[in-house]
Formats: sequence, C-alpha cells, structure tokens
Amino acid sequence: FCSLILYFAETSSSASVSKNECAHPGSFGKLCVRCGAQVEVAGVSFGNIHKEILFGNAEVARWRDTDTKSVLCRRKLYLVLDLDHTLLNSTHLKHMVPEEDYLNNQIDSIQDCQNGSLFRLSFMNMMTKLRPYVHTFLKEASQMFEMYIYTMGDKAYALEMAKLLDPRNEYFHAKVISRNDGAQRHQKSLDMVLGDESAVLILDDTEHVWPSHRDNLILMERYHFFASSCQQFGFGCHSLSQLKSDESEPEGALAAVLSVLRRVHHLFFNELAGQTGRRDVRQVLNTVRKDVLKGCRIVFSRVFPSKFPAESHPLWKMAVNLGATCATEVDPTVTHVVAMDPGTKKSRWALENDKFLVLPRWIDGANYLWQRLPEENFLVKSNEPKAEAKVKDSVV
Amino acid sequence: MFFHIVLERNMQLHPRYFGRNLRDNLVSKLMKDVEGTCSGKHGFVVAITGIENVGKGLIRDGTGFVTFPVKYQCVVFRPFKGEILEAVVTMVNKMGFFAEAGPVQIFVSNHVKIQKDSEVRLKIIGTRVDATEIFCIGTIKDDFLGVINDPTTT
Repeated sequence: FCSLILYFAETSSSASVSKNECAHPGSFGKLCVRCGAQVEVAGVSFGNIHKEILFGNAEVARWRDTDTKSVLCRRKLYLVLDLDHTLLNSTHLKHMVPEEDYLNNQIDSIQDCQNGSLFRLSFMNMMTKLRPYVHTFLKEASQMFEMYIYTMGDKAYALEMAKLLDPRNEYFHAKVISRNDGAQRHQKSLDMVLGDESAVLILDDTEHVWPSHRDNLILMERYHFFASSCQQFGFGCHSLSQLKSDESEPEGALAAVLSVLRRVHHLFFNELAGQTGRRDVRQVLNTVRKDVLKGCRIVFSRVFPSKFPAESHPLWKMAVNLGATCATEVDPTVTHVVAMDPGTKKSRWALENDKFLVLPRWIDGANYLWQRLPEENFLVKSNEPKAEAKVKDSVV
Repeated sequence: MFFHIVLERNMQLHPRYFGRNLRDNLVSKLMKDVEGTCSGKHGFVVAITGIENVGKGLIRDGTGFVTFPVKYQCVVFRPFKGEILEAVVTMVNKMGFFAEAGPVQIFVSNHVKIQKDSEVRLKIIGTRVDATEIFCIGTIKDDFLGVINDPTTT
C-alpha cells in the first residue's frame, strides 16, 4: 500500500509555483493557496467565507483597494448592519411571558418571509420579530450600498436571520459575519469588510463594540419587541409585545436612518463629485449630523451633578456633535434650556423669556432620529415621572 | 484516490454486549466509530466492506471491558499531491473558488469564469489532514484542466 502511494507523490508541475519563489499570499487549512506548501500566514482570517481561509495583509490591502474602487464606480458605498435590536429582535421561547401568548396566533410563514415579520424558528427554540420597515429599508439601501451583516450571534443564528431578511440571497451573499469570524470576541472590526474605512457606514445599536470605528457608526435606537429584551437591559417597563404595539413604519428608526443614508449618499456622490483627493464618508456623516441641531444654543439645568465638568457629560457632547452650542449660564442667545424640573432658576428664566424648556429626551430623540423634533412633545411639566427607560443612561 | 485496504483496530466492548450477538455488536460499534473519520495516514474512511478477523478478547484489569483486535477491510479516500480530480464547485468569490470531491474540500486560487455547481477538473498541489477534515489546494492552470460542465447544461 505505502510504496504505491509514494510513487504518485511529490511531482512538481509547471502549474504550481515553486515553494522558494512563492510569496504565500494566503492559506487554506494552513496550506499556501498558490504553491500548496504548509505555511503560517500572518493576516486576516475571513471566517465569513470559510473558517480555514486566511489572507496576508498585503493581499487584503490590494483587494480592499480594487473592491472599493469598483463599488464607488457603481455609485455605491458600504453598509455594515448589526442584527439584534437594530434590524430585528429575537427571544428564546422559554423566556417569553404569558402576556405574549397571543403572538402564537400571529406567526408568519417562513416560506413567505418577504411579506412577514414575526417568525417562529422551532428548531432553534426561538421567535424573531423583524423591525417594521426592514424589507423596504433593505431594498432601498441595497441600491446605494454594498451590504454586510455583522452580528455577535453565532454563525448558525446569523445565517438563519440572513435567510429571513434576504430570502432571495441578493443582498448578503457570503457577506454574513458572525461572532466567531472576528479576531476578537467582544469587539467588531472592519477587517473582513472589503471596503476602505473611508467608504463604510455602520448601523449598530451598541457603540462600544466598534472602538476603532466610532466615526463610521450611525447609532440605532434599540428595538425592544419581546419582554425578554427589556428584562435583559434591566428596564422595568413593558415591551412592545406586552403593550400590543409596534414601532411606526413611516416614523420609526429605520425610516429615519434611511433618509440619513440617502442624504449622505447624495452628498458623497453628487456634491463632492468634483473634489480632488479622497472623499471620506465619515466627514460627510459628520456634516449631516452637525445639521440636526444647527442654530440651537443649549443650557442644562440640574441635569448633571454640580461638581461634574459639564463639557465632558455625554449629553453635552451629544448636543455638540449634533451641531448645537452649549453653555453653562443663560444669556439672550440661548434658545433651549434642558431640565427635568420646571421650578429651577434656569427653567423659570426659559419660561419667562419665551425660550424652549425641554426634557433631556429631546436631545436623545434628535440623536436617534437625526432631526430636530418638535419641542412641544418634550415640554417639562411639574411632577415629571421618573426618566423613562427609552432614554439612555446619560441622564443623571 | 480511493483504496481498498485492510486496517486493524482495538475495539473495547462493555460486558453488556456479550452473548450470542457479540460479533454483531462488535461490528456495529466498529462501523459507528470508524466510518466517516479521517486519519493522516489513510485519509477518509468511506465504508467498511468486511471483517477479516476478530482476535482473542483480552479482559482489561480493573474494569470489565474486553479488548478485541479487529482486522477489517474498508474503502478509503485520500487525495495526493499531483493527483488529478474531478470536483464540484461549491462557492465562488474574489479570492478563487471552493470545490468538493467527496469528503475533501479543495480551494483553487485561480480566477476563471466559473459558477457554483460547475464541474471542474483540477490538480492537487498540496494536502493536509486534520482530525475530521482533509484540506487541499488545487490548480486548473495546466493542460486539460478547467471547467468540464456548466450547471446550465444538462
């Protein structure tokens, strides 16, 4: 047996590169893809394509360059989409509460997922609710962006969700990145995305998983449909399913973000088209963001602890990022006072001088919906109930 | 390439399987343990075709288990460097394409007009076996290699 095998082995051919000359651009199962020798390649592992495939940094940089050029030529940018709480909300069946029993009568067929939004995946013991407007969002976004899914869920979950969102496999083919594909467990990176970071936008509900790419990030308001989702984040309030309600399609987060994406896309391709030098989508995003509260001058009243340096507070920084200016004392140029209590000195000054007196939620709303929301919906009233769970923990 | 060879394995059997069905139990356990596994030396065990010999059982000290040396015939599959194989394309991307020939996954980094489910003739230029899988690198840049069949043609 063995001697017969040796006869066939080790014939070098003209087709493969000699091991000494080969630059080993990448490896599959620890074998060089060009010459077949056993190698250790330092580079990027593309787990979304195959768990054993790895390509060297130089090769990846080359691809990123050609891919980005080709995508930009087609008047598209890149969009990386998170799944949980961004495009959908999932729950284990055992975490569902009795108030959610009615949902069992409203399940949509998986065969017809293009039209459905609530799915029961019995083989995974899970129920998934797609966020309202998601089908339209994906269809419209796909015309402006090359899209990737990047989730902290595992591969099996990621692929099932991709099937629900993209039944015809037209948006995410081989571009589904899951937890084990990345180099680091609790962080996300753009290593496996073939777009240059100056052309990538990210949609995610969690900021801290993108430590190196905060400038590319559009922060999504979390979608809490199931009771377990609210519990997971420690909120005492009821979820949408318990309230027998849902996010509005035309006024929800996805619709708002789609219009932001349209604006960024338009600015990038139409208005910056004549520009020499590399256009950067991060700068465009910043420009759009600074437009939201342009012209507002904001003073905060008893929203931060008194010894806290006001300029470092997240709410102050959020307002500044949105294009507003902030101050610590009132003056005639101030347009808004943000407070919880209408009885503070600054609050009374606002009411007396016909300035807007709004809750901190007004700034959060602007941050998530990218527009200056009507102040009438955020007026400070006396005996204001405890800050609702919707507000992120920026209010002290 | 496929081979029909004789392999030997020491099978441990729990006393509950003794009795008139001892040999059948031994054979079933062998099939369950061995079919579908991979080794560096023989490659992938596809199927057991027969039992050549079952040796005398040896009772192990301390437990009641008995070890039987079993000689069996089986079909194995092992790819070799330089071998020419026909495979089916499973995935195409900008880095090249993946193809499968039975239990073996082959990656070819040549670019060619190819699509999923095409049949392709390739040459293996490197192989590696780990516990459960065989990885191969292939090439189609040689005479008579390349796409044989498109999935669109029947």
